[in-house]
Amino acid sequence: MYLVANIDVEICASKSCKLCTQYCPEANTIQYSEAMGTDRGFKYGTAYIAVDRCKGCALCVWVCDTMAKNNAIKMIMIDQLPLAAVTDNIRYEEKTTVAVLSNPMIVIGN
Amino acid sequence: MSLDYVKFSGGFEKFMPKEYRDMVEHGPFGKKISVSQMGSFKEILEEHPMCAGCAMTLFIRLAIIAFPNPEDTITVGTAGCGRLAISQAAIPFVYGNYGDQNGVASGLSRGLRLRFGDKPKDVVVMAGDGGTADIGFQQVLHSWFRKERFTTIMLDNEVYGNTGGQESGMTNRGAVLKMAPLGKKFEKMDMLQMAKVAGCAYVATVVPNNPRRVESVIKKAVLIAREVGSTYIQAYTSCNIEYAIPTDKVMEDAKTVENDRYQFTEYVSDEAKQYLTERYGYKDYLPKAAAPAAAIPNKT
Ligand SMILES: Cc1ncc(C[n+]2csc(CCOP(=O)(O)OP(=O)(O)O)c2C)c(N)n1
Ligand code: SF4
Ligand code: SF4
Ligand code: SF4
Repeated sequence: MYLVANIDVEICASKSCKLCTQYCPEANTIQYSEAMGTDRGFKYGTAYIAVDRCKGCALCVWVCDTMAKNNAIKMIMIDQLPLAAVTDNIRYEEKTTVAVLSNPMIVIGN
Repeated sequence: MSLDYVKFSGGFEKFMPKEYRDMVEHGPFGKKISVSQMGSFKEILEEHPMCAGCAMTLFIRLAIIAFPNPEDTITVGTAGCGRLAISQAAIPFVYGNYGDQNGVASGLSRGLRLRFGDKPKDVVVMAGDGGTADIGFQQVLHSWFRKERFTTIMLDNEVYGNTGGQESGMTNRGAVLKMAPLGKKFEKMDMLQMAKVAGCAYVATVVPNNPRRVESVIKKAVLIAREVGSTYIQAYTSCNIEYAIPTDKVMEDAKTVENDRYQFTEYVSDEAKQYLTERYGYKDYLPKAAAPAAAIPNKT
């Protein structure tokens, strides 16, 4: 097993600064969804991780903790993740993305 | 080399992988995309084998997003880590032998001008510090002296990263590396000064811990290279493997190095300033309102 980043939606959506989306070295990995925040009553959306693309560097953890000062990202063993986003289940819309969360171990295992 | 190449061929849409469909429908081609929209559109850089947490990877990701017309851009690379990612983007990539990237790019940019006339086709070289300042040095300098109209970007990780840690001309004096165990005995080469002496119209240093600045520098360099002359960007893109930087500290290192020896610098020739102002509406180079009419435009 290996570590991947996991963003706490509640903590992120309270700030929603999008900084981590600009600092992850991997493309199309930290995504942004309006609905995931606004559905929970927040003004803006949240960042989330396409865990199948995450290389586990934890650079985003530093960015959220030190630059955004929001501590929303933690590294978690991939098989211990709650439901998570994977590339196959992410849809792009005009200015946002929509993710159907699933058990990444089942999706990636397939 | 136009918006046509990112369309589906008739009847093939349903057979294409999701990543390709997303790119055609929600990629940056033909749109004005900026780093502030990252995470909300499909990037044209795909998965690649560069190391986890590599700052060079981040820089390449930002650079590709910043290309003013990705659908009309060709990248040129050479041996070294960067090509492992640059080659995995949905824009044409030309790979030359180690060090001949600026020679290849010279021919390519001239050929494109013959073929397409004034329609801008941007050529962008991205190569390591070894590829640019050591092995490719002669071709790099000559392309600048000839004022070849393309952009050269040095991915400066201050080491030969791809081959396990030999010193390069851009390594700092005293640095001890796996294959330079006694420490480097000479100073880091001043490629910025050389670029200016050789007549580059735009020369800038940048560090990827400031994505908006990376975006602005890349855009200016590519636009100036369309008509005015050679442009050069030197980017600090640490190698966390050879310099043993914990991956979660890569941006902290970038900040430290930026403050120490990689402060943002930008040189824009007068001709390039005029061109950016008149052609692309840049306001930074207009004379300051309070300054007397004869003052030389300030560089900001
Ligand atoms: C003519 C030739 N000599 C040597 C090599 C082996 N080689 C591949 S990458 C590399 C070093 C790359 O260093 P640099 O250009 O600084 O890029 P980095 O890997 O650090 O990004 C070398 C020596 C080669 N491919 N071709
Ligand atoms: S840096 Fe933190 S708060 Fe900002 S978008 Fe990312 S996870 Fe959310
Ligand atoms: S751990 Fe690294 S690869 Fe994974 S999301 Fe964070 S920055 Fe990106
Ligand atoms: S060896 Fe160094 S420069 Fe090359 S991909 Fe790995 S961290 Fe990046």
